[in-house]
Amino acid sequence: MGEPFEPRIVAFLCNWCSYTGADNAGIARMKSPPEVLPIRVMCSGRVSPEMILRCFRAGADGVLVLGCHIGDCHYISGNHRTAKRIPLVQRLLSYVGINPERLRLDWVSSAEAPKFVQITNEFVQTIRSLGPIRQELGLPRMGGGR
Amino acid sequence: MKENELVEILRGCAARKLPELDGLLGILRTTEGAAPYVFHHCEELAGLVLSPRYPLGGIVRVLQARYPKARLGVVVRACDLRGLVELAKRGQVAPDRLYLLAVACTPEEAQHCRCQRPVPNPTGWPQVEVLGSPAAAAEAHPLLVQNERLGLAERWAFWRQEFAKCIKCYGCRNICPECFCQACALEDPLWVERGILAPPFPTFHLVRAMHMASRCVGCRQCELSCPAHIPLTVLYELLRRDVAEMFGYQAGEDLSAQPPLSLSLTEETTPLPNP
Ligand code: SF4
Ligand code: SF4
Ligand code: FES
Repeated sequence: MGEPFEPRIVAFLCNWCSYTGADNAGIARMKSPPEVLPIRVMCSGRVSPEMILRCFRAGADGVLVLGCHIGDCHYISGNHRTAKRIPLVQRLLSYVGINPERLRLDWVSSAEAPKFVQITNEFVQTIRSLGPIRQELGLPRMGGGR
Repeated sequence: MKENELVEILRGCAARKLPELDGLLGILRTTEGAAPYVFHHCEELAGLVLSPRYPLGGIVRVLQARYPKARLGVVVRACDLRGLVELAKRGQVAPDRLYLLAVACTPEEAQHCRCQRPVPNPTGWPQVEVLGSPAAAAEAHPLLVQNERLGLAERWAFWRQEFAKCIKCYGCRNICPECFCQACALEDPLWVERGILAPPFPTFHLVRAMHMASRCVGCRQCELSCPAHIPLTVLYELLRRDVAEMFGYQAGEDLSAQPPLSLSLTEETTPLPNP
């Protein structure tokens, strides 16, 4: 009741580009939003629909997937799969009535610390305007099995 | 064409073909009921029938794994053929050792399954014979149009209610000709909670829908076998349209077309949509 909304956002960052980008943002003492919980994965192609859905189920208000730019993936074509998969997950979410803006895909290289900060800030704004997912979908807190 | 005429034609073809084959997989009807059966002798063919429909793709997979050298004939419908095409692409069946007797469904059958593609389209399948006369595509599920019209909140209200009916019998997965993984994500407690019926968040259904993208051949077996009557194929069909629109891919239509979600962008022929 009347509690301020603190969005909880999970960001999957690929080890080779986006995580390093985020790291560089920190080293350069840029301020990035504390609402974002980073999870390092080896490649954005590792992020399965199951992982994204589990985040939502566990109460994440938004999920961000960041990877290397197309052409720069450490595993050559890992992010090609990401680029195809995420738009489909977004559509599926929208078909059952979950706002697809709660899932965002973007590319951030290791040299793009400012872009990392910009995207995470933008995303926090988007999620703030959407409000808490629990409220939108009427979900209870996730019990056990964390 | 009437079903009994079609059955006669089918038995004729089967009798002609059977001597060249090690067996013919179809449905056998006896006084005790009907079940999938491998016919070996022409005398048995009097019991070969077309209904009830039964997805034989999974049985073909098991038979080929057990008897890798056998030349097997299979009586298929258009959807079974599409299913075998997708299984073949994923290395689950070997097309060169499968002779297909593909039967076009009657208009009534097409209606019953709301089938959009009731005529077998054997593009690329090495050995296949098509029997029966083509029926028109049935009308699409009314919910497909309706879902597009609803706003997000209304969609959620609708699907939430539908998913809440799920008793997690796994019937939809078990009947699906395209589900063959040894370890199923739907049984992994990491993704789908154990012991909770109608989980508050529909991971089960969304994971299954994602796994069916570019794979579901629209046979509607899952929906027809769901004891809770959840309109599952509406979601799969919406994703099927997306896959067609984004990647120009139709599951089950062409044996040589590769499933787009497992291809890189450079192997892909159609350009990528912007994320
Ligand atoms: S309609 Fe259902 S049973 Fe048939 S292929 Fe699609 S998901 Fe599987
Ligand atoms: S067949 Fe229906 S009730 Fe059974 S698991 Fe699938 S959706 Fe749930
Ligand atoms: S390694 Fe960065 S997206 Fe694949």
